[in-house]
Amino acid sequence: MSEHPFAAGIPAATRLPSERWRIERGIFAVLSVLTLAVVAAGPLVLDTYSVSVLIRSFLYGVIAVTVDILWGYTGILSFGQSVFFGIGAYALGLASTHLDFTSPIALGAFVAGPVVAAAAALLVAWLGFGPRVSPLYISVITLVQAVIFVQLIYTGGDYTGSSSGLSGFDTFDVGMESWFRIAGAGLVIITALAWVFMRSDVGRLLIAIRENEQRCSYCGIGTARVKTLLLVSSAIVTAFAGFAYAAFNDVVAPDLGNFQFGTELLIWVALGGRGTLIGPVIAAVLIDFVSAYLSGSLPFVWQLFIGLLFIVVIVLMPQGLGPALTNGMLRRRAKAVMVAPRLTLLPDPVVGDAARGPVIEITDLSKRYGSLTVLTGVTFGASPGELVSLVGPNGAGKTTLIRCISDGLERTSGTVKIGGKSIGRMSPEGCVRLGLGRKFQAPNVFDALSVADSLRIARAQQEPLSAWRSSDEVRLPAAAMRVVVATGLDQQLGTTVRHLSHGSKQALELAMVLAMEPRVLLLDEPTAGLTKAERAAIGAILVDLVRDHGLCILLIEHDLDFVRDISSRIIVLHQGGIVIDGNVTEVTTSELVRSIYSGEPGAVTP
Amino acid sequence: MIGRFGLACMAVTGIVGAIAAPAAFAEGDTVTIGIPIGLSGANSVVAPSVVQAAQLAAAEINTKGGILGHKVVLEIADDNSGADGAVKAYNSLIFQKRVNAIITMETSAARNAGLPVVARGKTPFIYTSYYEGRSCSPYLFVDAWVPDQQVATVVDYFMKEKGARTFFLAGSDYAFGRGMLGFTRKYIEAHGGKVVDEEYLPMDASDWTPVLSKLKAANPDALISSTAGGAPNVTLAKQLRASGINVLFGNLAVDEGTAKSIGADATGVYISQSYLTSIDNPQNAAFKAGLEKMFGPEMKTPNDLSVPEYDGIYLYKAAVEKAGSFNEEAVLKALPAVSFDGPRGVIRMDKQHHSPLTMYLGQVQADGSVKVIQVFQDVDPGNQCPKLK
Amino acid sequence: MTSLFLDIVTTAAILYVVATGLLIVFGVLKIINFAHGSFLTIGGYAALVVTQLGLSPWAGPPLALLAGFVLGAVVEMLIVRPLYNRPLDAILATWGLSIVVVQLITIGFGRGTNFVVSPVKGAVVVLGTEYSLYRLLMIVVALVLGGVLVTIMQGTRLGLVARAVIMNEALAQSLGINSARVRFITFSIGSGLAALAGALITPLLSVDPLMGVPWLLNAFMLVLVSGTSLLSLLLACVVLGGAQVVVSTYGNPVFGALTIVVLAAILLRIRPAGFARV
Repeated sequence: MSEHPFAAGIPAATRLPSERWRIERGIFAVLSVLTLAVVAAGPLVLDTYSVSVLIRSFLYGVIAVTVDILWGYTGILSFGQSVFFGIGAYALGLASTHLDFTSPIALGAFVAGPVVAAAAALLVAWLGFGPRVSPLYISVITLVQAVIFVQLIYTGGDYTGSSSGLSGFDTFDVGMESWFRIAGAGLVIITALAWVFMRSDVGRLLIAIRENEQRCSYCGIGTARVKTLLLVSSAIVTAFAGFAYAAFNDVVAPDLGNFQFGTELLIWVALGGRGTLIGPVIAAVLIDFVSAYLSGSLPFVWQLFIGLLFIVVIVLMPQGLGPALTNGMLRRRAKAVMVAPRLTLLPDPVVGDAARGPVIEITDLSKRYGSLTVLTGVTFGASPGELVSLVGPNGAGKTTLIRCISDGLERTSGTVKIGGKSIGRMSPEGCVRLGLGRKFQAPNVFDALSVADSLRIARAQQEPLSAWRSSDEVRLPAAAMRVVVATGLDQQLGTTVRHLSHGSKQALELAMVLAMEPRVLLLDEPTAGLTKAERAAIGAILVDLVRDHGLCILLIEHDLDFVRDISSRIIVLHQGGIVIDGNVTEVTTSELVRSIYSGEPGAVTP
Repeated sequence: MIGRFGLACMAVTGIVGAIAAPAAFAEGDTVTIGIPIGLSGANSVVAPSVVQAAQLAAAEINTKGGILGHKVVLEIADDNSGADGAVKAYNSLIFQKRVNAIITMETSAARNAGLPVVARGKTPFIYTSYYEGRSCSPYLFVDAWVPDQQVATVVDYFMKEKGARTFFLAGSDYAFGRGMLGFTRKYIEAHGGKVVDEEYLPMDASDWTPVLSKLKAANPDALISSTAGGAPNVTLAKQLRASGINVLFGNLAVDEGTAKSIGADATGVYISQSYLTSIDNPQNAAFKAGLEKMFGPEMKTPNDLSVPEYDGIYLYKAAVEKAGSFNEEAVLKALPAVSFDGPRGVIRMDKQHHSPLTMYLGQVQADGSVKVIQVFQDVDPGNQCPKLK
Repeated sequence: MTSLFLDIVTTAAILYVVATGLLIVFGVLKIINFAHGSFLTIGGYAALVVTQLGLSPWAGPPLALLAGFVLGAVVEMLIVRPLYNRPLDAILATWGLSIVVVQLITIGFGRGTNFVVSPVKGAVVVLGTEYSLYRLLMIVVALVLGGVLVTIMQGTRLGLVARAVIMNEALAQSLGINSARVRFITFSIGSGLAALAGALITPLLSVDPLMGVPWLLNAFMLVLVSGTSLLSLLLACVVLGGAQVVVSTYGNPVFGALTIVVLAAILLRIRPAGFARV
C-alpha cells in the first residue's frame, strides 16, 4: 500500500451488498411472516372496538410509509398527501352513492380513484418540480392542493355531500375481522416493499436527491422526472388505502383530504423518525390507536402532548424519537462491517473519428443581469487533448462563464455547442448528457452517502439503477479509476462521505465527474483548499487525463504557478471579455496580461 | 299556584331521593345513554345546554330509582359537529362504551354519518334536533320538528300579516340548510310568493359579506335564513345589523339561547320553535326550576334543541318500561307507542317515527326575550318516512 | 357597485392587517411562521378577555399587541432560533406550536364559540350606500399600520438594520450588526401584529380556538407573492383580495374562498418573484 497524499487511516473490512442481503433476507422473511401472522391472529385476541380502530390505523400507516419515502428519504415536504387518500375514498363513496353497487362499478371506482390521484399528482409535480423552482414551492402547492380538494367537495353540494360527506352507501360485504386482516396485510406488504426499495440503488438515489439535488442534475439525472414518478406512485398507493377506508368505514367526509390530516401525517413521520420507514409506521399506528381511546377522556391534553412532543422532536431530535431511542442500542454495533460494492474497470472506449475537431464551441456568449453586463462576446473552442486554463482577476466572469456553459437557461445570448450539438436552453442534466462534466469549487458531493454509492450514482446515466437491488459492482472508466486509486479512495469505499477529508472530497467529486465519461470537463478552482502535495498530485492526474485519455479540460484557477505547469493553453478574461487566448508562453509574457493583473488603469478589454 | 306546589313536591322528593338514591342501586346496575354531540365546531354554542338538559333528566330519573332499577349514566363524546368526528364518536360510544341508546342532538352531517354505525350496533337512536326531515331508519326516532311543521308558520305570517311577496333565502351549505330552504322555496312558491335569491355559505364560514351584498342588491320584502346552529347564526345576525340592512328576518334555525348571546343584534328576528322558555305549564316550570337548582349560575338557557333531549331521555325510559327490558328490539318496538308529558306538552313519536308538535311563532325582543305572536297546536310532521309504519 | 367597491377595499384592508406580521417575519427571518394563525387566535382571545372583564372594547387591541409581542419573544428564543438553518423544519415546528396553542386555549376557555363586543357598531352612509362602520374603520387601521411600519423601516435605525438583514444577512453580520437581535425583535413585533389583527377582526366574526387557520393560509400565500415589500403586500391584498370578493359575489362563495390561494400559486409559478419589484 503506497502512501497517498489523500488517504488516511486503515481501510475497514467491507462486505458486498449481495452478501449483506444473503445474511439479512432470512431475518427479513421471518419478520414479515411473523407480522402477517400477528395480523391474522389479531381479531381473535382483540375486542371489536380495538379492531375497528386498528383498521383505520393500519391504513394511516400505509400513508405514513409514502410520506416517509417522499419526505424522509427524498426531502419533498408534502402537506397534501391526505388529498390522494380522500380521492380514493370519494371514488368509492361517489360511485356507490350515485350508481348501483355492482362488481363492475366497484372495480371502476377501485381504478378511478388512483387514476384521478395520479393525475392530481402529475399536476402538482408539473407545477412544483420544474427547474429553478424553490423547494418551498412544492410545500406551498401541496398545501394549496389540500385546500382546493376540500373546497371542491363543498361546491359539489348534494352530489358530493358537501360538508356532511357521504354515508351509508353500499359497500363490500366484508366483516370487520377480514378488513383487519386486509388492512394489516396491506401495511406489512407495503412496508416490506418500501424497505426493499429503499435499500436498492434507486433508494440511494432518492437520498442523493435530498442531499444535493444540484449534484444529481450534474450527474445527468433528470431529478424532476424521478420526483414526479415518486409522487405519482405514492399518490396511487395512498388512493388505494383511501378506497379501502371508504369501503370499511362507510362514511367519507372532506376531513379525509384536508391539510390538517396532511400535517398530522407529517407529525407522525417526524416523531417516528423520518427516513426510517418502521418508525413512521409504528408512530402512525400507535398514535392513532391511542388517540381513539383518549379522545373521549383527555382529548385536549393528549393533543397538547403530541403537539409539544412534535415541537421538541423537530427542534432537538430532528432524526425522530425512533432513532433517538434505538441509537443507544445500536451504538455497540458501530464497529459493524461496512457495505460497499467493488470497483471494476471498464474497457477503454474506441475513440472514433468523431473525436477530432473541437468538442466544445462557444460563440458570442453574453450574460446580462438587467443593465449589468457580466460577459460579452465570449468566443472560443477547445478540442480533445487540450488543457485550457481560464484565468483573470476577480469579477472577470469566470464562474459565470462556467455556469453559462453548463446550464442552458443561464446565458442571455450566444451559442454553446458540445460535441457539435447546441445546448439550447437545456437544463444541466441535458448538458451533461451531451458530454459535459462539471466539478464545483467547493466539494459538491453527497454527504450522507458512501463513497461507492456516490460513484454508482455518477454512473447512473450509463448504467441504470435498480429499484430493488443494490448492485455489487460499480464499473468505472479508466480515468475515474485512476483518480480513485491514486487518491486512496478505493480503500474507503464504504466510508460515509461526510467523514472524508476536504482533499478526499475534492478527489471524490473529480472521480464522480470522470465516471460520467465526459468529453469536456469543467473544473472550478480544483486546487482550492488543497495542500501542496495534494495539488501536485491533482496536477499530475489532470495532465495524464488529457494526454492519455483524450479528455478536454477547461480549468478556472487562481494559482498561476499551477496553471503554468499544466496548461496547454490559457485564456485570460477581464471585465467580461476575452483579452488573450494563446499558449503558455504567449500569455505569460504578454504585457497586456501583466497590466491587467497589476490593475493598471490603462488596461482595457479589446 | 300549582307551579309552586309542584316545585315544593319536587324539592321534597329531590331531597328524600338524594338521600335514598345511593342505596337504591346495586353495584354495576347501570344503563348508559350515549350522547355524541358537537362540543367543538359549529354546534359548540348550543351543546352545553343540551348536555345540561340530559344531565337534569338523568339526575331526576335516578332519584326516582332509575330505569327498571338501573342507574342512568351519560356518556358524552365530541363529534366535532361533523361527519368524520361523528363516526369516531359513535364508534367509541357504541362499540367501546357499549351504550344502550343514543339520544342526542347533532348536525345533519354528523347524524347521517352516525346512522350506519347505529345500524351496525342495532342501537336505538332518538334524534332530538330539529332538522330538514326525511331521514329514515328503523333505529331512528325524532322528537323534534321538521320543516313541514315549522316553515309554514313563518312564511304564512310573513305573507298574510306582513304582506311579504319577495323572499331572499340564505343558509349553510349542507343537508339541513339546503333541505330547509328547499322546502321553504317550494312552500313560498306554492303560496304565490317569489324567491329572488338563494345563497349558501360553507358550514364553518363566518364571512357573510358576499351574501349581504347580494341581499342589498336584491332588496326583498323578507329574508329567511337556515344556517347551522350556533356560530353561523350569530355571525350572520351581527354582520347583517352592522351593514345597516333592515329587512323582515325570519330565522328558521336559531333558538332562544343563541338569540340571547347574539344580543341586541337579534332584536326583531322572527323564530318558530316547539319550545319557548315562556311556555306556561307546570312541567316547564318544574323543568326550569330543576335546571336552576342543579346548575345555578352556570345554567344555560333551555331551548328548542335542549328540551327535546330532556323529552327524549324520558321517552326512552317510558319505552324501556313498556318493553319491560333493555333489549334493543323490544325497546325499538315500544318507542313509537309511548308518550311523555314534558315542558313542550305531550310528545309521542308515532307518526312514522316523528312527532306531532305544538309550534310557537315568536319575535325576539330588545331584552333578548321572545314574545309569542301565534300558537299552532299539534302540527303534523307530514309524510317523513312512508316506509316506516 | 359602490357596495362591491367597498367590499373589495375593506377586504383588502383586513387581509393587509392580518398579513403584515407574517411578511416582516418572512422578510427578516426567511421563514414562514405557521404559528401566525395561533397568534391571531391569541389576539382574539385577548379581546374576549377584555369583553368578559367588562372593560372597554378599545382596550382589546393594545392588550393583544402586548400579549403577542411577549409570547412571540419567548417563541423566538425557544423554537425559531435553533431552527435558523432549517427553514422547512421551522415551518413544521411553528405548526406544532399552533396545535399547542389551540389546545391550551381550549383547555383554558373551552371549545365553544364566543363573541366579542364591538367597539363601534352600526352602519354609516358612505358614497350613497349604507356600510358597516367597523369594516370602514379597518381601512383606516390598515393605512395607519402600513404607514407606521413604512416609517419604521425607512426612517429609523432599527428599520435600516432590518433592511440590511433582509437583503444580505451574512454581509450585515460582517458589518457588525447583531442579526440575532434583529431577528428576535422582528419576530416579536410580527407576533404582536398578528395578535393585534386577531383582536381587530373578532368583532366582525367570532372567537373560537380554530379561528386562525383560514387566515393563516391566505396570509401565507399573500406573503409569498409579495416577497419582502410592504407595498407589494398592499398591492397583493388589493388584487387578490379583490378577486376573492368578485368571485364570491358573482360566482360561488366556496370558490371565492379558494381564489387567493389558487391565484397566488399560479402567479408564483409563472413569476417566482411575485409582485415584488425586481
